[in-house]
Amino acid sequence: MFTRTDDKITTAQTVVIISCYMLGSGVLTLPRTLTERVKTADGWISLILGWLIIMLAGICIVKLCQQFPGKTIYQFVQEIVGSWIGSCLSMLMILYFVAISAFQIRVMAEVTMLYLLESTPIWAIVMSFMWIGLYLITSGINSIARLFEIILPITIIVLLICMFLSSKIFDINNVRPVLGEGLFPVIRGLKTTILVFLGYEIMIILPAFMQHPQKGVKALIIGTSIPLVLYLITFIMVVGALSVDGVVRSTWPTLDLMRSFEITGLLFERFEFFLLVIWIMQIFSTFTITFYAGSLGLAQLFQKNIQPIMYGLIPIIYIVALLPKNMNELFDFGDFVSSVSIYLFGLLPVLLLLITKIFKKGAVKEDG
Amino acid sequence: MWKTIVSYIPDGIVFVQALVILIVPIIIYFTSKWLQSALGTRPSEDTPTENKSEENTPENGKAETEATLSFTGKYEADLASIKKKIAKNCDVHFREFTMATGKKAAIIYVEGLYDKELIEVQVMKSLMFDDAEETEKPSDDTKKSSDDTKITKTYLMNKMLPISEIREALNLQELISDILVGSTAMLIDGIVEVLLLGSATGKTRSIEEPLSEGLLRGPRVGFTEILSDNTAVLRRHGKNESLEMIKFQVGTRAKKDLVVAYMNDIVNSELLEEVKRRIEAINMDYLPESGYVEQLIEDNTLSPFQQAQNTERPDRVINSLLEGRVAILLDGSPFALIVPVTFSMLLQSPEDYYERWIPGTLLRMLRFLATFFALFAPALYISFISYHPGLIPTKLVMSIIDARQGVPFPSLIEALIMETSIEILREAGVRLPKPIGPAMGIVGGLIIGDAAVNAGLVSPFLVIVVAVTAISSFAIPSYSAGITLRLLRFLAMFSAAVLGAYGTILFFLLLFSHLVKLKSFGVPYISPAVPYRLDDWKDFIFRLPFKVMKRRPLMMKTKDSDRKK
Repeated sequence: MFTRTDDKITTAQTVVIISCYMLGSGVLTLPRTLTERVKTADGWISLILGWLIIMLAGICIVKLCQQFPGKTIYQFVQEIVGSWIGSCLSMLMILYFVAISAFQIRVMAEVTMLYLLESTPIWAIVMSFMWIGLYLITSGINSIARLFEIILPITIIVLLICMFLSSKIFDINNVRPVLGEGLFPVIRGLKTTILVFLGYEIMIILPAFMQHPQKGVKALIIGTSIPLVLYLITFIMVVGALSVDGVVRSTWPTLDLMRSFEITGLLFERFEFFLLVIWIMQIFSTFTITFYAGSLGLAQLFQKNIQPIMYGLIPIIYIVALLPKNMNELFDFGDFVSSVSIYLFGLLPVLLLLITKIFKKGAVKEDG
Repeated sequence: MWKTIVSYIPDGIVFVQALVILIVPIIIYFTSKWLQSALGTRPSEDTPTENKSEENTPENGKAETEATLSFTGKYEADLASIKKKIAKNCDVHFREFTMATGKKAAIIYVEGLYDKELIEVQVMKSLMFDDAEETEKPSDDTKKSSDDTKITKTYLMNKMLPISEIREALNLQELISDILVGSTAMLIDGIVEVLLLGSATGKTRSIEEPLSEGLLRGPRVGFTEILSDNTAVLRRHGKNESLEMIKFQVGTRAKKDLVVAYMNDIVNSELLEEVKRRIEAINMDYLPESGYVEQLIEDNTLSPFQQAQNTERPDRVINSLLEGRVAILLDGSPFALIVPVTFSMLLQSPEDYYERWIPGTLLRMLRFLATFFALFAPALYISFISYHPGLIPTKLVMSIIDARQGVPFPSLIEALIMETSIEILREAGVRLPKPIGPAMGIVGGLIIGDAAVNAGLVSPFLVIVVAVTAISSFAIPSYSAGITLRLLRFLAMFSAAVLGAYGTILFFLLLFSHLVKLKSFGVPYISPAVPYRLDDWKDFIFRLPFKVMKRRPLMMKTKDSDRKK
């Protein structure tokens, strides 16, 4: 075979993977979840603050990975804290990824059943989706990255067009006054925004595949900025158009925004279809990358071939996805998994990084 | 506590579904693996060795046969052994004559293939008449050789036969195979070697404009079935020492020449080695067309996409060679293959470069749009009509529903009726003789379409959709890529019929999942779209001015990346 040096993923591909992972279900629910907690229109400040916080956590993860070049966290965590605790931590992370992918699938199925396919059974929706995801991830991180590179530009363009069109019903008074009730509501929203920005944690495995791992931080910053900008625009447009009360009342505020105006004279009058298209694609990307991260973890933990593990994980993810009985339980499930991530990917990397620095573990000796 | 846990344990049916969800992909995996190994002629690492031995090491195998089959130098005996081998064929002729020196000689040729003028004017004339005066002079030379032979092989070749193409046959086997492809053999009493003169000059077609890739602007030259003509056309592109062509012989029973052409200071040497390796691994008794070669060297047999571009246009081949690609030409086929291929190449036409860059860019964008329509238009129709009529403007929906009032079928059946008939029409049109073709188009397209609408079989709106789809698929420059899209369109229609717009999105994801996995000779099929390489995008959807396109495609990893000095 015509061997190529670019079998590893480029920095641009890393950026795209991070962005695609972060742009998950949040696009549709973020305005509501954030406004519920903040109760004013200042959620966008929380977004920026939340982004800063996850940046710090992300940088910790990247720095940690750079101590062990070419290795994913599943491989080096045992070197840091010993094999027993290390295996447990790896297992937790794997469970986390499996749970996230199950959650995303379920959300996707619920929205699809609500807006696109009213009478189709959920298994039909989920199964076909999972099989295609499996087909993609069996060929590894390179194919995943290439597919994401196709999805992301489509997403950005369509989302921006949708938001631009909805500027017709945008009312600036809905997002004013800025900081009318002081800083406290903004702080309250921080937890939600941090959860929305989940996705940076994929950096625990990506640096091992990067062509230039030293550019990890740069990739992280750009990769998280793209969702930040998109989320900011979405949030401001949705709150500006629907007002704070309107947003809190609807389950999928962004879709409601799209349904609340019609543009005559164009081929299509309603644009929620396009939003759903890109949103399903984004869920697909989040699902595949978490599915991949989970199977990669299992493969490296037990030092087995990754292919059978991918096949084996499919029914598990399916069953987990069908566990929540209704939408409320589904969102509770999502909240729970997300809060776990704060400890798993916010505090743990800092701890591991400290241990590494203190005991001078890892391959990179900085001061000799 | 226990109760809540129990309440979350899903029904048995969920576990059954989970089992199904596991088993189906496993079955698909093993089936495809089995299919790959059963059908996949993809050259694996171990096959080439056995084949190579047939071709590259004739010394061992033929060493002992040579002894029995080599020529004795005795005219009668040699002629008899040749006759025994091939005299049965009605088109093989033996012409015996006496040379001016009195020696017996014979020429053996195949009717219709041999170079009649050359043999009659240059060979027989000089042997039968001019010989006498010449033989006296080179007495020094001849003394060294055996006494009774006055004329030796070297003397013949140097002094008596004023023709350029002359070589000697080493053994009977080689001689006979050469005679049968059109060389003329000459046997002279007293000379051990048998000479082969000239080469085949069968009836050939003149160079014409390529039928499958017509251009309004650009050279009106197409390849023909004669390999030497094709390589000559390539040579004529300009003074260029770096164009190299190496010859292979393919086919185990009927051997054919195959030429691999490349620019030696541009092409990536690993790519070249890989192409050579795969060609050497071809194991097939006969290759009638370059399509055989294409399918025998491709990466993925199960993919619907072609993994080598076929073209009749020499200008296209040269341009690809300059981009660092490799061309494969097979004797007897006017289609050259270009590898590696990317999907965007199939949507490009040389005209994009010959016209100015603004119209060129417009044409390219149109083709991408046409590809989208050709793939998804009927699928979108089905999903909107059957599942989401609320998404199209109300007035439009009213008129569509109005038009569909009398249609008794669901939209899938309706679309299938029309799509299938238009595909059949097209297939029939290809085979029909030229004068009837257009007539059939009118009967099939206009009359049947109109009648189907009037009879209430299909809605007029669908006829528009199908027509747009058909026209769009004609806009794709490569015929083979068009077939692929036609096939995929039906898959898109079925997925739309099962799961509506969601199914269409899934089909899109599946299609692109396949495309990102597919590689043609190690180059991702979907490049240059991904991975992002801004330099390569100058020649992708846009065709920027030549001043900007300074580099060869990065994806080809060429030795010399600059197009300018």
